[in-house]
Amino acid sequence: MVKKNDPVDVVIVGLGAGGGPAAKVLSEAGYSVVGFDKGPWLRNSEHYSGDELKFQNRSYLWPDVDLMPRTVRSDETTEGRIFNFSPVPSAVGGGTTHMAGWTPRPRPSDFIMQSLHGDIEGASLADWPYRYEHLEPYLTKVEWSYGISGLDGAEVGAGFRSKRYPSGPLEPTKFGEKFYEGCRKLGINAMPLPMSHLTERNELGRKAVNRTSFWNQYGDPTETRSTVATTYIPEALSTGNFEVRADSFVKEVTVDRDGKATGVVYIAPDGSEHEQQARVVILALGAIESSRLMLLSKSPRFPDGLANDSGLVGKNATFHEYLFAVGLFDREVSPALNGFTGNYQSGGSMHFYETDPDRGHIGGGIIATTQIGQPINPILPGKPVWGEAAKDADRDYFLHSMKIGMILQDLPQETNRVDLDPTVKDRWGMPVARITNKPHANDTAMSKWQIDKNVEILEAAGAVRTMPVYLGKEFTGNACHQHGTVRMGTDPNRSVLNEWAQAHSVDNLFVLDGSGFATAMGVNPTLTIMAHSWRAADYIANTYLKGRSERLVLDPISASK
Amino acid sequence: MASKSEWQKLDLVIDPDSNEKLFFSDHEWDTIEAAAARIIPTDQDPGAREARVIVFIDRYLSGIDYHYAAADGSGFLRMEGEEARAARARTNDFQRMYREGVGELDAVAMRHGAADFVSADEATQDKILVEVSGAPKPSHVRLDEHEVFYSRLQGNTDTGKSFFDTLAFHVRQGFYADPVYGGNKDQVGWKVIGFPGPSSLKDTMDGTYTTAPYFVQEYDWRDLLLSYDGPETA
Repeated sequence: MVKKNDPVDVVIVGLGAGGGPAAKVLSEAGYSVVGFDKGPWLRNSEHYSGDELKFQNRSYLWPDVDLMPRTVRSDETTEGRIFNFSPVPSAVGGGTTHMAGWTPRPRPSDFIMQSLHGDIEGASLADWPYRYEHLEPYLTKVEWSYGISGLDGAEVGAGFRSKRYPSGPLEPTKFGEKFYEGCRKLGINAMPLPMSHLTERNELGRKAVNRTSFWNQYGDPTETRSTVATTYIPEALSTGNFEVRADSFVKEVTVDRDGKATGVVYIAPDGSEHEQQARVVILALGAIESSRLMLLSKSPRFPDGLANDSGLVGKNATFHEYLFAVGLFDREVSPALNGFTGNYQSGGSMHFYETDPDRGHIGGGIIATTQIGQPINPILPGKPVWGEAAKDADRDYFLHSMKIGMILQDLPQETNRVDLDPTVKDRWGMPVARITNKPHANDTAMSKWQIDKNVEILEAAGAVRTMPVYLGKEFTGNACHQHGTVRMGTDPNRSVLNEWAQAHSVDNLFVLDGSGFATAMGVNPTLTIMAHSWRAADYIANTYLKGRSERLVLDPISASK
Repeated sequence: MASKSEWQKLDLVIDPDSNEKLFFSDHEWDTIEAAAARIIPTDQDPGAREARVIVFIDRYLSGIDYHYAAADGSGFLRMEGEEARAARARTNDFQRMYREGVGELDAVAMRHGAADFVSADEATQDKILVEVSGAPKPSHVRLDEHEVFYSRLQGNTDTGKSFFDTLAFHVRQGFYADPVYGGNKDQVGWKVIGFPGPSSLKDTMDGTYTTAPYFVQEYDWRDLLLSYDGPETA
């Protein structure tokens, strides 16, 4: 039997980068908000520490693939294989609890890729229905409330910024120094990466004590890393208008006869089913799970899934790919690079971000040098796995190698998509997300060009041997970035959401994660997701729930762009 | 069913010097310990044997009590609910895999003229491992070689691997994981490669342990960056 709870103003499904800001904005505006997460509510100071085995190898924070599997295939004709594709912690705080925390801003060009490049064969480029200038105030709000560090003025070619960073960057690592050296020699502008990590002299008055470098894929016991679970969730709770329901799996968004969302059905920790009605339903599960929940939510009005009149729910998925080149240095002559340091951050560059026709591909992405890793899992392609050679590889290169990675900006394609797996089910007995994807020729070309450039930087920095890792035949989801599956746009036939991330056909449904992003950008999406959510939540609080509506009118793009 | 956020701590401590077997039989223990000693051999530096990798593997295979150390390393977490069920199922698979794996090592050893794997000499043990792994013995990473790589689906977990790959991976984990799990005794694994790890997991929770001394100590962003002319930094 389904048990009913008292109706609330707003339900938020997913309490990560998308759900967190919305919870804060709407509860501070005086609305009653209930937030669901299928994962537990882990406490930083109680549950996290620098245990490599537990966090990197035994998935304490990442989804257990036997309980919450996904399947992957490269095209329609192949069968999906179970794989932990694009793993994001299933926990209150979501991806912000484990992420390395690179939080660079997007660039104005990210919002107008179709206008800049026209139609690219095999891709489904589209402009976003809003632009950088519409997001900028919210990027600033997030940087100053969530807590982002960066070096003001270091990003050459950055978009307009209304306020400086509230915190300076972490000091450089030894391998970061090498990266800067290589970049300087090649005439490349570099910068310390903007990070969701504060340093001691920050203007937010927060402590910043974690220099353990147990960072990417770990929870931070000290709250030095900014996460949704340590900022927006407690802020929302302090209003008295917000309630967290952790360990609660939302299996369906319900609609009335006219197709308006009425609330959600969820499975509580004790296994019982409940219904929670609300005036507004916000989905923020991440682009894979948000589209999956929409596809699971079938009704007479929406037989193909919630708000799916266009048939586009799940399509145009983009995932980025983290690719890199490793450089080996001669331990006999080079000082140690200490690749275990840096809290997974150091030097980065957006020098290759904008399109240059001479490169043979459009778009670009951020590059950065980051930790090699800790002793169990250091990155060394083709590493020998046993015997004297394996032991020597660790002895020779654990301290004497570095890597320069890139965020591959994959082009959207309708065929790269999320749908429901026909056979595989999760712990709650529901069909899991199946990912179908194949790189576009532009993706492969970008990977080749940029990784070769990273090799050049390594060589300029003194690497004796370099090991490039190019994009293979399919995406692996190793960036843990997800976008595009519930596309925003102005035309209801070619998009699912409008410029407020509001469903064209369900006006009280909003999808506030990366799902709406029409193109993938070349930066890590979390900062943009948070600003995007805040902007939409402002609209929900101040316009939609006041019984009004508003449309954003965009100026034509001038030739100077 | 308790949420992961409420898992209780078991007051368990692993003694790396213990010879008590929680999962392996005496013969299985000796066999896996000998194989581990070929995977990370002892030379001028300690290897898997001195790191007590065998204790690490035995405790891991004994059930689900030793899967997750408590955050501060003062015990282990008692898994519950669906997570416990899934972990138990995987452990059962590993137990079977190791039992059969020891049998395979011995069977191959007999074909190489030894009574079993343990009693074969090191060179023969290597030949046996080559045969069981299905690949030549790994050769050294050389600075004068060139090879390119491509991204592919692979995870950091220990599932979905062959017996040999599982064993090699577990040996690596036992050599380098925090000593609370029974291997990496006295941090010997970390010392071999120069990793200045924390003296306890607790020290990673409050700023006591820091890698700050291994960062660059003196710098000026204006010198490091090509086109930055902001204020002087230090």
